[in-house]
Amino acid sequence: MWIFILKRLVQGIFTVWFIATATFFAMHNVPGDPLLNDRATTDAIRANLEAKYGLDKPVMTQYGIYLGNLLQGDLGISFTQENREVNDIIRDHFPVSAILGILAVLFAAAGGVLWGALTAIYRNRWPDYVIMFLVILGISVPSFVVAAISQLFLVNVNELFGVTVLPVAGWGTVLHMLVPAMVLGLGTMAYLTRLMRSSMLEIISSDFVRTAKAKGVPPARIFAKHQLRNAILPVITVLGPSIAAITTGGFVVELVFAIPGLGRYFVQAVQQLDYTVIMGTTVFYGAFLVFMVIVVDVLYGFIDPRVRME
Amino acid sequence: MSSVTANNSVSLLEVEDLAVEFDTYGGIVQAVRGVSFSVEEGKTLAIVGESGCGKSVTVQSMMGLIPMPPGRITSGSAKLKGHEILGRTVVNGKEIRGSEIGMIFQDPMTSLNPTMTIGDQIAEPLQVHRGYSYKKAFNEAIRLLEMSKIPEAAKRARQYPFEFSGGMLQRAMIAMAIACKPSILIADEPTTALDVTIQAQILDLLQDLQKETGMAVILITHDLGVVARMADEVAVMYAGKIVEHGMVDDVFYRSAHPYTLGLKEAMPTNDPSLQHELKPIEGSPPDLFSPPQGCGYCARCPYAMQICNKRQPDDTFLAEHHFSRCWLHHVSSPNKPDQLYFKEEA
Repeated sequence: MWIFILKRLVQGIFTVWFIATATFFAMHNVPGDPLLNDRATTDAIRANLEAKYGLDKPVMTQYGIYLGNLLQGDLGISFTQENREVNDIIRDHFPVSAILGILAVLFAAAGGVLWGALTAIYRNRWPDYVIMFLVILGISVPSFVVAAISQLFLVNVNELFGVTVLPVAGWGTVLHMLVPAMVLGLGTMAYLTRLMRSSMLEIISSDFVRTAKAKGVPPARIFAKHQLRNAILPVITVLGPSIAAITTGGFVVELVFAIPGLGRYFVQAVQQLDYTVIMGTTVFYGAFLVFMVIVVDVLYGFIDPRVRME
Repeated sequence: MSSVTANNSVSLLEVEDLAVEFDTYGGIVQAVRGVSFSVEEGKTLAIVGESGCGKSVTVQSMMGLIPMPPGRITSGSAKLKGHEILGRTVVNGKEIRGSEIGMIFQDPMTSLNPTMTIGDQIAEPLQVHRGYSYKKAFNEAIRLLEMSKIPEAAKRARQYPFEFSGGMLQRAMIAMAIACKPSILIADEPTTALDVTIQAQILDLLQDLQKETGMAVILITHDLGVVARMADEVAVMYAGKIVEHGMVDDVFYRSAHPYTLGLKEAMPTNDPSLQHELKPIEGSPPDLFSPPQGCGYCARCPYAMQICNKRQPDDTFLAEHHFSRCWLHHVSSPNKPDQLYFKEEA
């Protein structure tokens, strides 16, 4: 098991290195110039700025410096926000995105497993039809629409009761987190529901469930001990990529609900060609996702004994 | 419709005129069309027949294991110690499944839960039916594994199915099925998925356990070799009906139905004095979407007569426990092939 974890960690480091390299060269091949803005700059100022950010050196030298700094955990200084380190931006705003993302993933996973199992058990009866209709809706409606509708709904509810039951936007308390997390996790939940349904249907008609029935095990216990644990395996496999989808997709929801997350800086940086912020946040997100995938793999090993042994 | 009952005493299990159908997209499949048999305490009944003849459906419908819908028991009864069990899960306060009747399946590789230890799976029926604590049930599971002749049972009980071989898994299945000391063990093709040497060991184990516990066994198989070795009584099934039934010697040495004869001729033998080529039964079984009006075997039967196609034959008793369902045994049948056994004229 420890060798397995170690192996995955080494693989992860290589993946992060690859992400860092790809982002670096992609950035340097994007047309445009981060130092170009509306104000007129003289050649002297420009040369000073290039020297400050190291842009006057050959690309491979820049790459070397970048990797060296990265190894020391230094992601550089923002081009557009004066004297603000990328590390500070991440430190200030990532925890907000992470909490929102984790809540959304938990919501998506719990909901997906529950609804998926339910639709499989009630296959081709009305609960199945109703839930699967909502699932298609959840997959096809984009999150900003759901976000806007849920805000409208919250406004009406708050008006109806005359007090703020749940805040419509902003950040701070648990109450602020609930609705954005649900909106963010909705698409993934719909996807996981479909996955869980097909996986559960397969398990329901499997030989070992028939064996459990022949043993006289009551249905509730068959569900808990025989069906759920086996049906959940494919869901856990896609949980890693789902975390990726949720955390990177958080930008829109953060914007609509006015949540001070990292997503906004990520997108702003791309618009402004803020090299260090783009590279810093991309590598950070990349490393975070690689780490989450490893965590999910280890988790999988605990649930499926067959993986543990290999 | 009569079942074969010994000395008018109540049999352990008595199945009367059982019929099962399934709704499918193609129509209604009549998988079992009126099957009757009985099982005596401590004896072994073998149900023989080719794939799709309804032998598995027969026992699974008794255990409530066929999915309903699409499945449906349209008629018949099954009485365990005189109590109806069809459509019920409890008889006399005792759970039928796992407690009164144990069951093992064809493919041990897929019939065990891959994410539960063997010991936990064997302990489960004891926890469910006997209310044992987990620890007590697990210790009993180890003892059952020892009974099923699995070496290092204590260590093995903590392992998962993927760490076991096919033969070992089937032993574990048997240990699980007999955990609550059922009065009947149903073995649905228990050796089909195993290789020949392991088959012999599993059959030995079944026989030993039967002697130890005195349980009755219903053995479902298409292997006449297994039947000859294990069975006291044999029921030959074809197209959802029992076509011949008798004690094992009756069916083997005094075969009275052309289908039984066909099965025997298709069976390989290692006796050099019987240098005959294996003779397959030509054709395929009838479509059970629209079962034939007459005898189901008629289209493949070398001795078929005109009436076979038109009317169902009745059971003809050739001995107290031996009957054949074939028009050739009718008093006015003109044809009495030498290969078949006929009732001696009084």
